[in-house]
Amino acid sequence: MAFNPDDIAGKKDTTAGEKAKKGLIGFILNFILVIFSAICIFPLIWMFYSSLKLKRQFNADIMGLPADPSWSNYIKVMTNKDYHIWESMISSGRTTIISLIFIVVFGFIVGYILSRCNFKGNRIVYYIFLMGMLIPTHSLLVPIYVVFSKAGLANKWFTLPIPYVAFALPIAIFLMEGYMKGIPTELEEAAAIDGSSFSRTLFSIILPVAKPILVTIAIIQTFSCWNEFSFALVLIKDVRIQTVPLAMTMFKGQFASDYPKQMAAMLLTMSPILVMYFIFSKEIIKGMVAGAVKG
Amino acid sequence: MLRAIRPKGKTIFLYLLAPMIWYLFAVFVPLITALYYSFFEWKGGPKKTFDGLVNFQHLVQDTVFWQSFGHNLYLVAICIIGQIGIAFVLVLMINSRLVKLKGIHRTFGFFPSTISAVCVGLIWKMIYDNKRGLLNWFLNVIGQGDKTQVWLNNTEKVMLFVAIPLVWQFIGYYMVILLSAISSVDAEIFEVAELDGANAFQRAIYIVLPLIKNTLLVCITLCVSGNMKAFDHIYSMTEGGPGYSSMVMAMYGYKVSFQEMNLGYGSAVSVGIFITSLAVILAVQKLINIYTKDKGVE
Repeated sequence: MAFNPDDIAGKKDTTAGEKAKKGLIGFILNFILVIFSAICIFPLIWMFYSSLKLKRQFNADIMGLPADPSWSNYIKVMTNKDYHIWESMISSGRTTIISLIFIVVFGFIVGYILSRCNFKGNRIVYYIFLMGMLIPTHSLLVPIYVVFSKAGLANKWFTLPIPYVAFALPIAIFLMEGYMKGIPTELEEAAAIDGSSFSRTLFSIILPVAKPILVTIAIIQTFSCWNEFSFALVLIKDVRIQTVPLAMTMFKGQFASDYPKQMAAMLLTMSPILVMYFIFSKEIIKGMVAGAVKG
Repeated sequence: MLRAIRPKGKTIFLYLLAPMIWYLFAVFVPLITALYYSFFEWKGGPKKTFDGLVNFQHLVQDTVFWQSFGHNLYLVAICIIGQIGIAFVLVLMINSRLVKLKGIHRTFGFFPSTISAVCVGLIWKMIYDNKRGLLNWFLNVIGQGDKTQVWLNNTEKVMLFVAIPLVWQFIGYYMVILLSAISSVDAEIFEVAELDGANAFQRAIYIVLPLIKNTLLVCITLCVSGNMKAFDHIYSMTEGGPGYSSMVMAMYGYKVSFQEMNLGYGSAVSVGIFITSLAVILAVQKLINIYTKDKGVE
């Protein structure tokens, strides 16, 4: 009868038949949703226990639990220098942190100026950044390679933050700009009357107020910087500075037949994201949703 | 706009300078470069020859490019139905008071969207594997062994098979977005509707749908722009193969430029990607605007 047969206050004369019906519906709804959750999480669980098997055991029985679980795949993946796992994690971490700092600082400053400062060209700057949200970034894949290699910027440790920051700026600026619209200007007016300079007001008064939106911006961008693949693929050739997703595609080529080892490598490189997600899932989900809807 | 503090023009200029240069350099310079090189025959070496519109004539007649464009549109369609459609149904279910463990469903459902598309592609490649894949294993277990196949070699259906991981990855994402929209709606509305005798289907169509329509449209926009740039999954699963049967635009641009080292034509393909993606995105937004205006929703 209903997807949503809520209990209605005062309706006490429920017959036994209705109760049974409600129970059945509840069972079906819960069952479907449990299946959905299981499908979402199962590949992760399967990868985890399979990564504790040896290749031989896995090929003999792909579904069964490991008879004698061992960490040998992890040890091999971590200790073999040819796999560049640590280097890729360090590269991804460095790229993510550098990008985040610039995205948050630039987004904060530009977003604030565009929402509060009345200067000639305010709208022009606004629309230039607005255009960035429409530009299909994947059409820049080839030309960015051309420009960066001509300018000598390709294949360096600082290469990737350049496009990552640029592509993230529009959304960061608009989130910040929108957020400032909800903050009364009295705060800054009082500060100005007290003789606070523009820069001082910006960093010691506005910054703490804007913290929630800056955290949201940082959360969204952490995931997209850590996971970004296509620009890393064209811009980075040196295995020592490749990011995690690049290392994973290399791994696929080298160990096409050794699934447990590949799984161990994937889980290892996913681990920072996994740990962060399962600890802060509420905040992360909230931030990502806010970013998606307002952007 | 703020009147009380009026920072000097110079201060503003200095603050805006670095972000503007950074942004223009990484976004607009490549765009202009692509346009420039698309008029040349250039294989990546020092020698390049101007040949006018030849690349574009070639592009317009390039069946692989248009086939790839079609595949992008196919992904958009599948994902709007698969991701947002299924997410909507799940939202209706999860919204019921009879459902337990809502937090778990939310956390687990959202989880796939936080891992990299490359990993999703690689995981699904293992699932589709013909000898050691979960899918063929499952078919054997349920006694459908004759249905097993080398999934990603099926030229006719490969687009569907590469679309499934995409759908899987983002159902939970859209579910959570829609759920947050619905939770801002007063629960009393649903109760009153039920008292008035509206059944579940009527409630979904006449009450839930209009209330979260704007969020739904945001989801569609996200879905369109996300799928026009599909690349990572495809790269890690099939690289556009077999042949060109799962080729998408970004993958084709990559292949032309970096595997065939035809950077001149690759630039023209990039311009093509730019124009077609932008056209699709703008068309969808226009449609949405017309649709919302007709219904009198701001």
